Amino acid sequence: MTKNKFSLRRAVNNMNLVRFRFWFQIVAFALIVYGGYIGLDLGNKLPTFACVFNGEGTGGKCYVGELQHDLKHPLEGFIGFAGYAFLISLGMFAVWFWALNKGWCGFVCPLGTMQDWLTMAREKSRIRFSEYSWANRKKIKSIKYILLILLLLLPVMIANSVFGLPKLPNGLSMPFCDICPGRMMIPAFTGHFNQFYIDFSSKTDLVMTTLGMIITGLFLVGSFIKKRFFCYFCPMAALQYVFSKPALLKLYKDGDKCTRCGDCYRACDMDILEIADDVKTKNMVTEDCTLCLKCIAACPEEGCLEANFMGATIFESTKEGFVLRMAMDQHKESHAH
Amino acid sequence: MHTEHTIESPHERQNRHKAMEAIHVINALKEDFKSPIKSMEYFYTLFERVYCNHEPLHEGKSKIGTMCIQIPSEIIYALDGVPIRLCNGFYTDDEIGGDLMPQKSCPLVKATVGLFASDNFSDKPDITFSPTTCDQKTKAGAIIESFGHTIIDVGFPRTKESEASRAYWRESVKGFAVELSKFQGKKLTRTNLENSIKKVGYAQSLYHKLTEFRKHQAVPILGVDMFLVTNAFFFDKIDDWIRAVENLVAELEQRSSEGVHVAGKASPRIVYTGSPPIFPNYKIPLIIEQSDAIIVADETCSSNRMFNDMVAVDEWNLYDMIDSISDKYLKACTCPIFTQNDDRIRRIIQLVRSYSGDGVIYQAFAGCQVYEMEQRSVLAAMEREGIPILYIESDYSPSQQGQLTTRVEAFVESLKNRKRMKK
Repeated sequence: MTKNKFSLRRAVNNMNLVRFRFWFQIVAFALIVYGGYIGLDLGNKLPTFACVFNGEGTGGKCYVGELQHDLKHPLEGFIGFAGYAFLISLGMFAVWFWALNKGWCGFVCPLGTMQDWLTMAREKSRIRFSEYSWANRKKIKSIKYILLILLLLLPVMIANSVFGLPKLPNGLSMPFCDICPGRMMIPAFTGHFNQFYIDFSSKTDLVMTTLGMIITGLFLVGSFIKKRFFCYFCPMAALQYVFSKPALLKLYKDGDKCTRCGDCYRACDMDILEIADDVKTKNMVTEDCTLCLKCIAACPEEGCLEANFMGATIFESTKEGFVLRMAMDQHKESHAH
Repeated sequence: MHTEHTIESPHERQNRHKAMEAIHVINALKEDFKSPIKSMEYFYTLFERVYCNHEPLHEGKSKIGTMCIQIPSEIIYALDGVPIRLCNGFYTDDEIGGDLMPQKSCPLVKATVGLFASDNFSDKPDITFSPTTCDQKTKAGAIIESFGHTIIDVGFPRTKESEASRAYWRESVKGFAVELSKFQGKKLTRTNLENSIKKVGYAQSLYHKLTEFRKHQAVPILGVDMFLVTNAFFFDKIDDWIRAVENLVAELEQRSSEGVHVAGKASPRIVYTGSPPIFPNYKIPLIIEQSDAIIVADETCSSNRMFNDMVAVDEWNLYDMIDSISDKYLKACTCPIFTQNDDRIRRIIQLVRSYSGDGVIYQAFAGCQVYEMEQRSVLAAMEREGIPILYIESDYSPSQQGQLTTRVEAFVESLKNRKRMKK
């Protein structure tokens, strides 16, 4: 037995994931939101909400913004060079994404991090989180795809007359950015509150900016009472999921070792039932997974869940790790009675 | 010379018979096997004190009776109660209960009812909570109540997959906590619940340490000893139990490093499943280990099922702790009362694999309908997996020793042959 020997693998498996993630997210948040001030520029194909409206502060730019911009061109233009350029952009996005898979959501995304901070505040104030019923949970899954299709389609319909329909007004050129809470919340962290406005210049702008304000309000209230409230509807998550299969970071499950105790499901901020109940599928990176790895940390079965990078296990569930994380490794004698 | 003649009262007679049953098993555990374990002495003495000398362990404390394994001990400890699990293994009590229950009832339930009927406890429960698991346990509550005991039913669902059953059970657990809190005159708080979750979790982690040793080629502890250790958790003072198991872990560590093996080199490794062996009904486990096999793991509610899953809390606030406790007692449970039980089958297979089991022995108490009914599906699954299995029906009576021994020995021999052929 390697019981009392130090090994890196054991130390990693025993880690306090909550603390590790907390600090990792702070560093990632700083790089994405303030990185620009130290000259960081990770380009404009990032698979995470690095907001273009964050001016000089941003350490890179969100691909969804770029994507909407790219699609607002006459379709003829895509035949030839511009088409290649578009595919190269999409490819760059995929390459960034493959490195971390959905880990971008659980560890990097500044909007995700903000929601986790609100969750912490709720937990500290001892208010119970709310949950969707299983039926509703299933229903809302499609919303993110609808948003994705809209954000892809609307810019195309500005520059082109699709199916003979009239072209859309220019106010819809960045339809998702208009309603994304990141546009308001992220610049606020660099002291820029100028995105909190309602634009009366045209009807479209009025509607979209008002929607944006409402959604930001919902974002703040929603994620206080529901863990990762916004992520359930995130079109970035939908776009990412299209590319998720070949990604390098994976969440694997060995169903034979699973007792279906449901600890992973309880820990899951996205209420993904399959993580506990599915004992057949190996790749557990489902559409709403944020790869936050909380399920692995909560799993008491040796090697049942693991984070795997290019075929190598980097973090896996162990009994010892579980007991340490739950602080059940010591005996405190009580003399209360 | 003057000798005083006294007539033995029914309680004295019951105690004498039970002491005889108990000491018979304790002596067998102590003397029938090679390389005894020093730290097991604590448990032998404990069972002798309680069952031979009828010695109370929890005088002056509020004793909370429980049935089955679904009444959360975490909540009982948090409210300063002592949980005492009343599932009973005595043939003497089985005979008393036999007059009160239908002919073909489960001996465990009969023995439990018998003990209540005789009202002859060394530690009498002040109140008893009974989860509505199998038909017999559920209906026994009312019979027991008719003897003047306080029994409170705790509604337990018979499916665990649905959202509704999860919500229902959470409500049941909350109801139980409120009821007990009133009874104890004490409030459940974040601090006392957190402490008791961690204490029970620590006790469970010690059990997990014990089981690790049984994965080795040289197994330093017998299955019957393990059953005794887990059985002690039914009624022992938790702090004493923890200390005794810490000592046991240390000794097994030592024995393991010395390569001590309590069985023979060729002894088949058995995974035990089915109706729970509860002291002193160690009939089948004893026959197995006296027939040169060794039990390396079990899937029973008096041992593994009781200890395997620990409460996992995400947010250490009262709301989440209670929910985690509820889920632990429902979701992870492999009790045969559930409509579907693939989890139990998968668990047995997993135990065979991770403990390098050579075969499975499945015991069902005659009259324990749910285990009897699940036998077919388990046998079919084992056949698919190529795992040899022996199904035995037995009860608490001391009568069928010879026949059972023959069957177990034959199975053990066939496993040995199989092992030899593989080599």
